[in-house]
Amino acid sequence: MLAQLLLNGLVTGLVLALPALALTLIFGILKFPNFAIGGMLTMGAYLAWVFNTLAGLPLLVATVLAAGSLALVAVLCDMAAFAHLRDRGAITLLVASIGLSFVLENICRFAFGNDARNFDIAVARPIRWQGLRVNHEQLVTVAAVLGCLALLYLLLRLTPLGRAMRAMADNASLAAVRGIDQTRVTRITWVIIGVLTALAGVLVGLDRAIDPLLGWNYQINMFAAAILGGLGSVLGAVVGALIIGVVEEVATLVLPINYRQAIAFLAIVLLLLFRPHGLFGRRAIRK
Amino acid sequence: MRLNGAHVPAPVPALAVQGLRAGYGRGGDIVCGIDLAQTPETILAVIGPNGSGKSTFVKTLAGLVPARAGAIRITGTDVTERTPAQRAAAGLAYVPQEANVFRGMTVRENLKLATDFLHGRAGVCSAYEEKVLATFPEIVRREGVLAGNLSGGQRQMLAFACALLANPEVLLLDEPSAGLSPALVLEVMALVERVRAAGVTVLLVEQNVSAALAVADEAVVLVGGRIGRRAFARELAGADLGDLFLGRGS
Repeated sequence: MLAQLLLNGLVTGLVLALPALALTLIFGILKFPNFAIGGMLTMGAYLAWVFNTLAGLPLLVATVLAAGSLALVAVLCDMAAFAHLRDRGAITLLVASIGLSFVLENICRFAFGNDARNFDIAVARPIRWQGLRVNHEQLVTVAAVLGCLALLYLLLRLTPLGRAMRAMADNASLAAVRGIDQTRVTRITWVIIGVLTALAGVLVGLDRAIDPLLGWNYQINMFAAAILGGLGSVLGAVVGALIIGVVEEVATLVLPINYRQAIAFLAIVLLLLFRPHGLFGRRAIRK
Repeated sequence: MRLNGAHVPAPVPALAVQGLRAGYGRGGDIVCGIDLAQTPETILAVIGPNGSGKSTFVKTLAGLVPARAGAIRITGTDVTERTPAQRAAAGLAYVPQEANVFRGMTVRENLKLATDFLHGRAGVCSAYEEKVLATFPEIVRREGVLAGNLSGGQRQMLAFACALLANPEVLLLDEPSAGLSPALVLEVMALVERVRAAGVTVLLVEQNVSAALAVADEAVVLVGGRIGRRAFARELAGADLGDLFLGRGS
């Protein structure tokens, strides 16, 4: 029982890692907590559903198309809203991101209604292994997220673009005088955010039904994961997501399942009280 | 200019500033109309009391503070409307007073970043990089160390190395001696002289007046965002600071 819960928790954490990473990348590079990630996740799931169910494309192709489309949406949102507010500070950007989240969510609601939707995929029997029940969606999730994390790690560590993104997160003014085109790096960051959240939307849609509140229901968990790891820390977002995922699942041993999300709230409260910079974040110094 | 009766055209200033005004937000001007031209391959010290606008002036040159009026030219090219990154590509390098390295990245990554986006710039090639890095053996030995874990002097050297790797025409230094021991200040100033000897024009903003005047060719005294006085550094070397900063005896 416990082993099954741990396995389920790790898979839940891996799915959560993608939007938590998106959140932490935006916070690190553009310095604001982006509440629109939830709305973007919802839109990513619906875009994939359109390509998969309405256009009749295989889910893999639909995911790629959804990722590309959401990357474009993310860049357009930045150009239309965030770019104009960049100098106004984090609070203004945060409020704008809440507004954007509502806009994205309600575009989905207006276009597709409130009914729950599902991807058009074949139903397969779960695999039994060492007493554990592993379904195909979980295997797909593990492979997709680990692949995505590996690619992101290589991008950030080994390429000039990744170094530029980390440099902007470290010291934006210095990055500018070292010849880094901040507008270009910002746009590419939004493309990455779009791809990560679209993939997360598809994986969440595989696990549960797609509805307009899909991303909103994940919002607290992704913030808890990113804060637990330390906002701005890429490694922290992944570790934080895995911890939140496992703790939420294991907590169902002692808590009714409806209270599962309270774990994420509790994690945020405890962290803000005792370790506001999270597990891997830099301690902020107030002068 | 005339030399032995023959007409020799005056060299294009490496850095030329005309009527420069700048400030922050909706506040008043901090830089209140600065005009200066700097001869190539010289060190020009910018000195002045606290709050005289030295750092704002140098940040405006680097593009981090927008100019409200006036013009900035690098070797004759107007860069006033260009972004900091475009100015770097045009040959302007800037070493800030604090936070002058990426502390969360290794020394190797800092050095790579110095040229990652400037490979189109003339002279930036692997042979040149090797030549520059050969002058910073202590930094190269620490390639795998996080820049934030270096000592203050080592960080300053790393910041210099990064700036020089871009093969700049003009190097802007904002108080490079700040927070360093007297021995390290001498080392940094010796490095500034070597940079000039290598053909780079240096604008040196300094609070440590004696150290700056010891290496500079010329100096300007900034008071209230304006140039109060410009003279050869040796003429100012023995002057009283109060006289210099308050404009007495100029």
